[in-house]
Amino acid sequence: MFNPEMAQDALSTLLLGLLITVELTLLCGASSLVFGMFVALARMSHIRPLRLVVSGYVQLVRATPLLIQLIYIYYALPFVGIRLSPFMSAYLGLTLNVSAYLAEVYRSGIEAVPRGQRDAAAALGMRPSVIMARVVLPQGIRIVIPALGNYMVSLFKDTSLAAVITVQEMLFAGQIYAARTYDYFTIYTVVFVLYFAVGYPAIRLVMLLEKKVKRGYADRKRLLMTPTGDVAAMEVRP
Amino acid sequence: MIEVRALTKSFDDNTVLTDVSLSIAHGEVVGVIGPSGSGKSTLLRCINHLEQPDSGDIVIDGEVAYKDARGRSLSAAKIAETRGSVGMVFQHFYLFPHMTVLQNVCSGPRFVTKTDRRDYEQKAGELLERVGLSEKAHQYPEQLSGGQQQRVAIARALAMEPRAMLFDEPTSALDPELVGDVLAVMRTLADAGMTMVIVTHEMGFVRQVADRVLFMDEGRIVEDGTPEALFDRPQQERTRAFLSSILSHTGEAPLEQGAGK
Repeated sequence: MFNPEMAQDALSTLLLGLLITVELTLLCGASSLVFGMFVALARMSHIRPLRLVVSGYVQLVRATPLLIQLIYIYYALPFVGIRLSPFMSAYLGLTLNVSAYLAEVYRSGIEAVPRGQRDAAAALGMRPSVIMARVVLPQGIRIVIPALGNYMVSLFKDTSLAAVITVQEMLFAGQIYAARTYDYFTIYTVVFVLYFAVGYPAIRLVMLLEKKVKRGYADRKRLLMTPTGDVAAMEVRP
Repeated sequence: MIEVRALTKSFDDNTVLTDVSLSIAHGEVVGVIGPSGSGKSTLLRCINHLEQPDSGDIVIDGEVAYKDARGRSLSAAKIAETRGSVGMVFQHFYLFPHMTVLQNVCSGPRFVTKTDRRDYEQKAGELLERVGLSEKAHQYPEQLSGGQQQRVAIARALAMEPRAMLFDEPTSALDPELVGDVLAVMRTLADAGMTMVIVTHEMGFVRQVADRVLFMDEGRIVEDGTPEALFDRPQQERTRAFLSSILSHTGEAPLEQGAGK
């Protein structure tokens, strides 16, 4: 059954694959956190054509499977002259996909900020853009930090779909190795464990963030937010 | 200094203000009383353009606010500028929960007028001292009582050096024992000559501090006069009915109600 020597031999290949998995996760995650915010703001824009285009994109992404989106970008787009490397295809597909979902998350956060907050900011003479950047977003983003975290964990797992378009991430590396040695049990067990070894701490971190958010703003270790939605720093107040 | 001309406002089928006109002089303290749903808060929100009236004008210091000469709505930036010159205090305070007390008080000068940081921080410190909350400067609103939060909200509005202050039921959400501190701050403000419009149920306070009282009902100003005239010799039947209903459930005369605070 499980062959420890085989596992040991495969480990370096699989770890290289894991590295690509993590790279893809971090790149797509960071891009989606920023791009998703722009999408969310565009959906609330006063410019009607912009709103229509962006909501069309969000519906398109949400109504189709991610696997098909990746396959389409890598295998179909070359026929209309758009040729991307496997990694670039995966980066583009995953980012467009996750951004659409994050935009909805951001929007729910923005809508969850009480109207009185806008009224108070407006009464002080803040312009709409200042109200959004200084009052609404810092609160709205904070509300959705746990949801954003969950999407980041999902993204980490979904990068495995990139195997289908020959990105050399961990699942693909495992498939190649298994096909060569026929030891599917050992190889996929190692792949399974490696996903868990990264994924489990990640979900624990999300749970921790959730607790922190619930504890309120006066908590000693406080999450500092930037308007783009990146978790900028953990600040310890004196 | 603030003039309201023929203001009408409805929400869907519900007319909240009907042809309301009113003129408030510089330094005048005006109490607005009336049953809930009478349009008091909407009137206040229209003065600050948090609600857009269906018709009528708001005139501030002789200039029609929020509209150009042809009656079209001004740009958001221009509207914001006028709003910043009139302070507003809300029933539920609406402090910014992600900012400390000091940051809340600084938020106007910092994000609107963009004055020098040392200037506005020093001024914010003075304002916090004035409302008796210097030691809370670095705490967050959630760590403060309702009365303390409302005093911070007053300081935050004052930091913009407003020409007038609007109070929308500033003590209605407070526990009874916290009302006095907020009213005391408002009283010093009135004594210092601030133009104030106060929507409130604190009849005793209105009687002591206001120069003038408006009684509103069903979207109209029913009666307008000095506190003595309005409380002691109400001319309108509706005013009398409202005052007696209030007195019967508190069991106190308006003056005594405020005198204890």
